[in-house]
Amino acid sequence: MKHSLIMSLTSFKRLFFFLPLFAVIASCQKNVNHDLGGPEHNLTINFKAQVDTIPLEYGKTYHNFFNEPYTVSAFKFYIHGIHFINTETEAIFEVAKDRYDLVDFADSASSSIKIGVLPGKYNRIAFTVGVDSARNVSGAQTGALDPTKGMFWTWNTGYIMAKLEGNSPVASTPNNAFEYHIGGFRTGENVVEKITLLFPYTSLVDLQPNKTSDLYITTNLSAWFHNPHDIRISENPVSMTPGPLAVQIAENYRKMFSVAQILNEP
Amino acid sequence: MVFFTNACKKNGSGNGAATTPLEFKIPDGFPEPVYKFEGNPPTQEGFELGKKLFYDGKLSKDGNFPCASCHQQFAGFATLDHDLSHGFNNQFTTRNAPGLYNLVWHDQLHWDGGIANLEVQPLAPITAPNEMAEDLTNVIEKLKQDADYPRMFNAAFGSDEINSQKMLLALAQFMGMMTSADSKYDRMKRGEATFNQQEQAGYEIFKQKCTSCHAEPLFTDFSYRNTGIPLNQTIKDYGRLRITNRAEDSLKFKVPSLRNVFLSYPYGHDGRFPSIGSMLDHYNAGVQQSTTLDPLLRNGISIDFNERYYLVQFLGTLTDSTFINDKRFAP
Repeated sequence: MKHSLIMSLTSFKRLFFFLPLFAVIASCQKNVNHDLGGPEHNLTINFKAQVDTIPLEYGKTYHNFFNEPYTVSAFKFYIHGIHFINTETEAIFEVAKDRYDLVDFADSASSSIKIGVLPGKYNRIAFTVGVDSARNVSGAQTGALDPTKGMFWTWNTGYIMAKLEGNSPVASTPNNAFEYHIGGFRTGENVVEKITLLFPYTSLVDLQPNKTSDLYITTNLSAWFHNPHDIRISENPVSMTPGPLAVQIAENYRKMFSVAQILNEP
Repeated sequence: MVFFTNACKKNGSGNGAATTPLEFKIPDGFPEPVYKFEGNPPTQEGFELGKKLFYDGKLSKDGNFPCASCHQQFAGFATLDHDLSHGFNNQFTTRNAPGLYNLVWHDQLHWDGGIANLEVQPLAPITAPNEMAEDLTNVIEKLKQDADYPRMFNAAFGSDEINSQKMLLALAQFMGMMTSADSKYDRMKRGEATFNQQEQAGYEIFKQKCTSCHAEPLFTDFSYRNTGIPLNQTIKDYGRLRITNRAEDSLKFKVPSLRNVFLSYPYGHDGRFPSIGSMLDHYNAGVQQSTTLDPLLRNGISIDFNERYYLVQFLGTLTDSTFINDKRFAP
């Protein structure tokens, strides 16, 4: 009895000795850092770009809140720090912190983010739009953060967190282009927006072991132009640097997300 | 812990490739570097790859502008005798190319400090339309098509996959290893050389009038200051203001190191001072008052004729012949 107690204590110590090492290795894995008891990817977040209630089509003319006509040629943004939350059980599942996704509506594959989530019931999703300040200054990155993605400022280094480009006859720029490249991570010009989304009434992510769930998030780009800040293309066709205009636009677009639908595989 | 985390983040060296580690030595009396090669441990193979990239015109649009076109070893990796550097299609840049050495001690790079990490610095000149003028994706494509690079990336990083991150890590290894710490000044500090009377007199004046900004041993305190150089009306470069958007940063530029200063003329952020003498004349009598002028320069710095002579003698001891002749950094 005594002997076995000593043995188990020794094993216990060994466990503790190795635990930090395991933690480090696990944190290196890009996608999943939990044993989910199932497939690596069991949940898909599908971002759908809309202009109010109409699915976005590049090149088609829409009108913003100020009735300014415009077309869209690029719409993309970074997502990271995804959390699934159950406010009743207080369960929180955090997707690997070092995972970054670039949602680019020109590329349907990138607007569906496949992740591994611990099976269970969740009634909220939270995520960050943008790239956290630490990763803005920590040197050469790869994957979604590779500067070849065109989302990195080279002269005032830092990531473009979100980008909206198009044309509008009211823009007094070459080719009537409007370009909103929204970035900035330093105090006073930080545009990293933390978003928490409720689910439609009675809907839950109810993810069963070895099953999948699909979450559909509507991304309404009309939000960029209005509430709480009035952004008229005629007055501000270009935002290309960190600063007050970029902060205003980010405070507008943080409202562009809403969960439209959740499909749980029974 | 830190090492593991970063090693994973950067997909750094190793991965089965047999690499030869390179030791980065902090010279006696130097502080801890800011760039610590975390996740990017220098290796012989990474360094050699970085050197090839540094001297390769493929990183520019027309092949004519490698990094080395503006950063010449004999000039302490600045551009000798050019106020403004030249770039693609016969264009001027807007600033004087800074010397490249002791870069790992810089918390930010460029005259305006716009670059927050040594690893991403090369992206600025590669993509600037008046410098190397190339698209980053094209650069990576050219490297993939090259006869040598796949082998060299494999040797350095354990896989022949070529991407922008590995290119930048290799360049950071090459540039980060450029330590200049073997001038006569350094040898004097180590007790291996002695200053003559004139150099010593200059050193005393320097400590009295210059080190509040050009702090030893790196000869810069890495701060941004308005030294009373009037705005260049054709370039309209307001320096750090462009980065911070703060009015108090108008006309502020990074304090340059004075190491190898004899080799890197002309001087000033736009190279308007052709000689050390004209630079000292500026401090003595040319400082222009403005709201953001550095408080230390409200009355300029009085430097009389004799002091000027001795200061120049001292500044000559900052030339590091070992560094500019170091074959490790030569093409």
